[in-house]
Parts: sequence; structure tokens; C-alpha cells
Amino acid sequence: MRRLLALWEKECLALSRDVLGLAVLFLMPAAFIVVMSLALSDVFKGGVARQTEFAVMAADPKLAERLAQSLAGDGFRAAPAPADEAAARDGVRRGTPSLVLVVPRDFERALSAPLDGRNTPPKLTLLADPALPPTQLVAFQQRVLGVALGLRVSAMMRQAGLAADADALELRHAATLNVETIGSTGRPSSVQQNVPAWLIFGMFFVVMPISSLFIVERREGTLARMVSQQVPFSLLLLGKVGPYFVVNLAQGALMLLAGRTLVPWLGGETLALPGRWDLLAAVTACTSFAAIGWGLLVAVCSRTLEQATVIGGVGNILAAAVGGIMVPRFVMPEAMQKLSEVSPMAWALDGFHAVILRQGGAADIAAPCVKLLALAAALLAAALWVHHRRRVLTSAQ
Amino acid sequence: MGTLNLEGVSFRYPGGDAALEDVTLAIPAGRVFGLLGPNGAGKTTLISILAGQLRGATGSIRAGDETLESLRRRRPRCLGLVPQEYAFYPMLTCAENLRFFGGVQGLGGARLKERVAAAVRFARIESVLARRAGRLSGGLKRRLNLAIGLLGEPEILLLDEPTAGVDPQSRAFLLESIRSLAGTDKTIVYTSHYMEEVEAICDHVAIIDHGRVLVSGALSEVIRDGSGLQELFMRLTHRSLRD
Repeated sequence: MRRLLALWEKECLALSRDVLGLAVLFLMPAAFIVVMSLALSDVFKGGVARQTEFAVMAADPKLAERLAQSLAGDGFRAAPAPADEAAARDGVRRGTPSLVLVVPRDFERALSAPLDGRNTPPKLTLLADPALPPTQLVAFQQRVLGVALGLRVSAMMRQAGLAADADALELRHAATLNVETIGSTGRPSSVQQNVPAWLIFGMFFVVMPISSLFIVERREGTLARMVSQQVPFSLLLLGKVGPYFVVNLAQGALMLLAGRTLVPWLGGETLALPGRWDLLAAVTACTSFAAIGWGLLVAVCSRTLEQATVIGGVGNILAAAVGGIMVPRFVMPEAMQKLSEVSPMAWALDGFHAVILRQGGAADIAAPCVKLLALAAALLAAALWVHHRRRVLTSAQ
Repeated sequence: MGTLNLEGVSFRYPGGDAALEDVTLAIPAGRVFGLLGPNGAGKTTLISILAGQLRGATGSIRAGDETLESLRRRRPRCLGLVPQEYAFYPMLTCAENLRFFGGVQGLGGARLKERVAAAVRFARIESVLARRAGRLSGGLKRRLNLAIGLLGEPEILLLDEPTAGVDPQSRAFLLESIRSLAGTDKTIVYTSHYMEEVEAICDHVAIIDHGRVLVSGALSEVIRDGSGLQELFMRLTHRSLRD
């Protein structure tokens, strides 16, 4: 135990004097959390908070105003109508407004005509900004068709001599629809996606200080000296696990703090804390073991600092890109979502989301935790095996 | 502990030629044994095998009446290594390095303090204990390297070119110190490229080349013809460049 404590103390002292290493471990994920939480906040708010401007162009200004009033709401805001269609196209090309509905002259008459083969439905044109998210475009299309249907039904009722209340025929008045998000205290927000995502990314970056110090130890002969002092190689590896486990826990605490204080202070949303801290600690611990195992394998396999930087850094970035850290998995196509299941960062993210977003229980984090622990054990065994295969610790010939 | 006997020791790196072939040496206790050879002769390989860094050597290595391996299992601190690299942590202070290397050998509490103090006194590095090891001069780094090797009070001390790259004053100090260690019944194996150093402090020598022992024995016997160690070395290993 005395030898292990000496190894832990040495590792902590060395890390505390590695300013660059500490910056990578703590400042980098914190910066990503703040920047990405703020940058993606609208994407995660979806159609509710995102305001998309639209305009209605019609020959009859009263009709245009009536349609604009009916279409406004739920993230869509009416803007003044452009002077003509050329101005409308020019405005949409620049994104102001994002949508322009062009209503033909005979729109109201066409709505009143029966659909019997001789008449065709009125032809509306919607000019759309190409940068508009497809889901927003589809939502507005459905909104337009809903309003058109209401007007058609109203016209049919008038023709049948029935009293037609235009307001009553709007979709929003058809019924009351409550949306209940299961297992969460609210909608997943940008900060709830980005805090765990970039925390995991930062945790896996322990590969850098672990491997760089290990390579220096091998190159400078300190490793050889310790082996000559009968320090088992497994104890040397264990000497790195303890300090970096503490570092990973500290990263977890600080990144949660960043989500609770720094992001809202800069104008973003506040991170909702989980109900089960024990489960959060369990997921963090399992992620930490996997990250440290990865760091040890890279350290043992790499012969130079450059190799370690390339293998560790590129490996982390690829795992993050595939695993839904950089791009949320729900926006990936199905094939990529399937591929993401091979990334340990995706397993870790599943575990964190189960606790933070879905307020899940132990059963919900069991699968990701088991996968992460199995990976950690495999990586550690691989590191020992590679070392055993090489047999030589020094470059002596 | 008795004489360190190597009998028929051979070693081959995976996929390479033989680095040591049938090396037989008797390294007496309480003496400084000089191990000489050109670059690539197998000196560091032999030191690494003795230090337990390389496995897979054939032959036998015995310390007195037991194998070196069993002695090291029984007394893990019986062997100290001072590699030719500065084998310490440049980002730690000298004191932190000494505490760490003592701790990792299982020393603790008062015993650790006592051993650190003794090693510091021996290497005369009291004035630089609080300085980062990486910022020391070459001579001080060599002295720290030696102090670390002595922390466990080893009976066998392996010194791999311990004076490389130091000024004459530091070299003189290191040689005196090493010579004084032999009087404490330690077995010291000393490798160097400096013949005058070996002649000054070693009682016994061996010259090896291409993994084979060319000559070994008491220094006075090896250079009996009065030709000097340098001339004997060049005659046995030839003048062709090795690097």
C-alpha cells in the first residue's frame, strides 16, 4: 500500500505541474459546454421557442391579414408582406422572412367551389429559405393546409345555410392536446445534451497526460529503475488509475457546476440536476475506468509522444464524432445511429442521459455501465499483454 | 552476500542477433568491477539482465549460494540501479524524487527520512533539495541519480556510465564517492567509456564485445604487460568505428 501511495502522490505532483494537461482536462470541456450549449440552444428548443418569420402575399390585403393571423403562433411570427413576388423571392433568399405564402387571386372562390372533377383545389405557393430546418418547413406546410381546410369547411357550411364560426374551425380549437414527456421533468435542453457529452469527451482526454508521462518514464529510464526495484508492472498501471479516477470525478463535478452556473450566466438554460446522485456517480465511475483503460493502452503501445498524441487524440475525436458527442445522435441518419452504438462515448452518453434526462433507475444504467466496465477490463488486459509481449522496457541493445 | 557469479549467460532480443553469448564472469563482493566495451558490445544488456528489466536470458546468475532472482525476491532492495539516463522526474523537486523512489521501494516514515538524509549527505545535494530536478546542472543531476540508486542501501549497485557528460570536478567527486562505497562491502558493477576512470577506481575488469567476454580478471593481471587498459582495449576490440 505504501508503494501504491507513493505512485499516486508522484502522479498527482506531476499532473499538478503540467499546466497544458490540466487545461486540456478542465478548460477544454468547460469551453465546449458553454459554447455548444449556447450555440445549439435553438436547435434543442425546437419549434416552440424558435421564432420563424413568415409573410402572406395576397391581392386582398384583408385576406392576407386574416391568413397571417391564423398562421401565426407556435414558433411562427407574421412579418409585413413584401411589395411584390420579386421582392418576396429576394427577401427569402436573404432569410428575411424565412417563408412567404403566395395566395392566388381566386383563392376564396376556388375554396367555395365543390371538388367534383371540374374544379381543382386552389394552388398556393410557399417560398422557403433553404437554411430553414426541414421540420420547421413541414410544420408550416401542415399549418397552411389546416387553415385552408378550415376556410373550405366554413365556405361549405355557408353554402349549406349553416352558421360558420371561422374561429371554431381552426385546428387549434379542434381539441386540447397536452403533450406529456415521459420520464423527464421537462424537455431535454441544449445544456442537458451538451454537459454530459463534453464531460465524457474531456474524461477520455486523460489519455494525453497518462500516455505522455508514461512515455517520459520509459524514455528517461525511471520505469526501468522502478522495475529494477521489483515494482510490478501491474502496480505501476494501478498507480495511474487512482489519481486519474479522482481527476475524472473532479471533471464531473466542475462540468455540472458549469452547466448550473456558467451557462445560465452567459444567457443559456440551467442544467436540471438528476434525482439520483448515486446513479450519476456510478455512470461517471464506469466512464472513468473506460477512459483510464484507454489511456493506459495508448501509453503502453505508443513509443513516442507524437504517436500517443495522434492515436489518443484522433481516437477520441473519432469516437466523439461517431458517438453523438459532437453531433447529437437524434439528428443522424439511421445507419449512423446504428454505427454510433460501437462508440464507448455513446454508451457513456446513454448512461448520463438515463440519469439526467430520463430520471431513470439502476436498471436503466446497467447496460451502459456493464459495457464500459467490460471495455475497461479488456483495455487493461490488453495493456498488460502488450507489455508482456514486448518483454523489454528499455531501448537498450 | 558473496561473489556474483554469471555462468554461460546468453540473451537474444526478439527477432535479433545474440546480444550476449555464453558470458561467464565472477564479480567479487566489496569491489568495484569495471565492465568495458565499445558501443553495442552488450554492456547495457548485461546490466539490464542483472537489474531484472530483461527476461529470457539463459545460463545462471548466482549471488553467493543462491540465485540472484531468489535473493531479489527475498530482499527486493538488495539491488540498486543507476542508469545512464537521468532516471528521475524533471518536474519534481529533488526532495520529492527521493521521497518517491524511497516510497516505491517500500520505505516509509522515519526509515524513509533517514535513508533520504543519508543519500543526500552522500551525494552532497543538500542545497538543491527544493529545486526542480530538471533545472539542475549536469553534475548535480548525476549526483541525484546516484543518490536515488543508494536509497534502498543495495548490496549490489549497478552503475551504467554514471559520469557521462559531467565536468571534471563533478567527475572527481563521483569517482571518489563510488570508490568509498566499495569499502562498505557492496558489489559494484561499473560501466564506462573512460579507461582512466576504470583504472582509477576498479579492482576487477572485463572487456566484452559482440556479446562475448574477451578478457576478465583483476585489473593488475589483465594489464600485466604494462601496456595500459586503453591499449589493451583497442587491441582486443579493434579500431573500426562502431556508431
